[in-house]
Amino acid sequence: MGLFTDLYNTVAKFFRQSDEPVIGDASKAVATNRLKLVLMQDRTNLTPRVLEQMRSELVDLLSKYLEMDKELLELNFEQEGDQVALMLSIPVIRAKDEEEIEKALNAENKNTEEDICDDEDFEEDEVDEFESKNSEEIENSSEEQIENSEEKPKPRKRRTKKVSTPEGFEGNSEHHEENHQEVVIENNEG
Amino acid sequence: MTGRVIVITSGKGGVGKTTTSANIGTALAKEGYKVVLIDTDLGLRNLDLLLGLENRIVYTIVDVIEERCKLKQALVKDKKNPNLQLLAAAQTRDKSAVNAEQLREICEQLKEKNDFVLVDCPAGIEQGFQNAVAGASEAIVVTTPEMSAIRDADRIIGLLATKEEITSYKLLLNRVRPNLIKTNEMMSVDDVVEILEIPLVGIIPEDTGIITSTNKGEPIVNDEDALAGKAYRNVAQRILGEEVPFLDLDEPKGFMAKIKNVFSKLKVKV
Repeated sequence: MGLFTDLYNTVAKFFRQSDEPVIGDASKAVATNRLKLVLMQDRTNLTPRVLEQMRSELVDLLSKYLEMDKELLELNFEQEGDQVALMLSIPVIRAKDEEEIEKALNAENKNTEEDICDDEDFEEDEVDEFESKNSEEIENSSEEQIENSEEKPKPRKRRTKKVSTPEGFEGNSEHHEENHQEVVIENNEG
Repeated sequence: MTGRVIVITSGKGGVGKTTTSANIGTALAKEGYKVVLIDTDLGLRNLDLLLGLENRIVYTIVDVIEERCKLKQALVKDKKNPNLQLLAAAQTRDKSAVNAEQLREICEQLKEKNDFVLVDCPAGIEQGFQNAVAGASEAIVVTTPEMSAIRDADRIIGLLATKEEITSYKLLLNRVRPNLIKTNEMMSVDDVVEILEIPLVGIIPEDTGIITSTNKGEPIVNDEDALAGKAYRNVAQRILGEEVPFLDLDEPKGFMAKIKNVFSKLKVKV
């Protein structure tokens, strides 16, 4: 059997090559993409679990202000040269009006008052936190990530992460064309 | 004189660290520089084999550290070139027989009397790696155009970046197969450099001559006709500061290649 398969492949390859020259199986493209993804995780210390957590926290935060299709939210990393950008793409159904936003914020404040000692949730007091606390404290609120990062090497000097422009970001056009808006979170870390 | 201490490392095993050490060392010695090669792969020594010196080793690096001999006594001169000397690893001990401080001290002593000290690092990122990089101020990261080797190289580069003593690290891309690159079955030199983002010091083509040269215990740089030998001689020149163009291992050009290039740059999705 092996012999026949080999023979078939050899013959098929011969014809294929004459049809479309230098195509190969182009597995290099697959390798490059897989490698880029895995290296992004290695370098940034963002495991799939952390990414998922990040995603759900972002959904919680944004849904106070926007009504959106949570299922279609996508987190992408893009790298070009030494620039890394985090792209967040969410199909927005509509923006909430002031009343609703107020309501959402109040509901949340109430929650926080109820369980003040529960400090493992990042979302508590989000708005205040972003405005008043410095970044160090925000980092501390997510102990998990800090624990992880201790095992890994420090971020390297050469990878200066600059702000990248959202140009050329096409999202995944198929499922959410109408009200599609993009939120771009730029990575300014040096 | 104060010589340069260069560690040759890779993360992954089997990508050609030892072959690279032997060849760069031999090439630099041929240029008239005094070179010491240190094998730090305790328990799995091979540099002696590649240089054909396996029968001449009396003392090893562990004997030096445990003061059974003087450093000078443990250095084995190359058969052909007295400028080249080897400090062999102990075959019967493991990595814990040496610590980083002791290796740094040996490098310090050796660089006073030599132009180059090349440290052949063991695979992995544990003690052996930490020892090998301890005395070095430069690093050459060896990798091949394969995913696993590149990922490990990236990890090593990350670790090197945290070492303040290491002021320069460069990439040596080994076992490149131009015919596979041409059919887009292997990542090209440009792809690898783009991913790892460190400067290139050499591109070594896959060469069956490496096997025969290993069999004979004679580094391939001594073979004037071998392509890999030429590539290694070029690496030595670049280490010496010369600007030598990279060998032309023709990468895909033309219409189809451009199209595929576009595909290969498609964004990475999480």
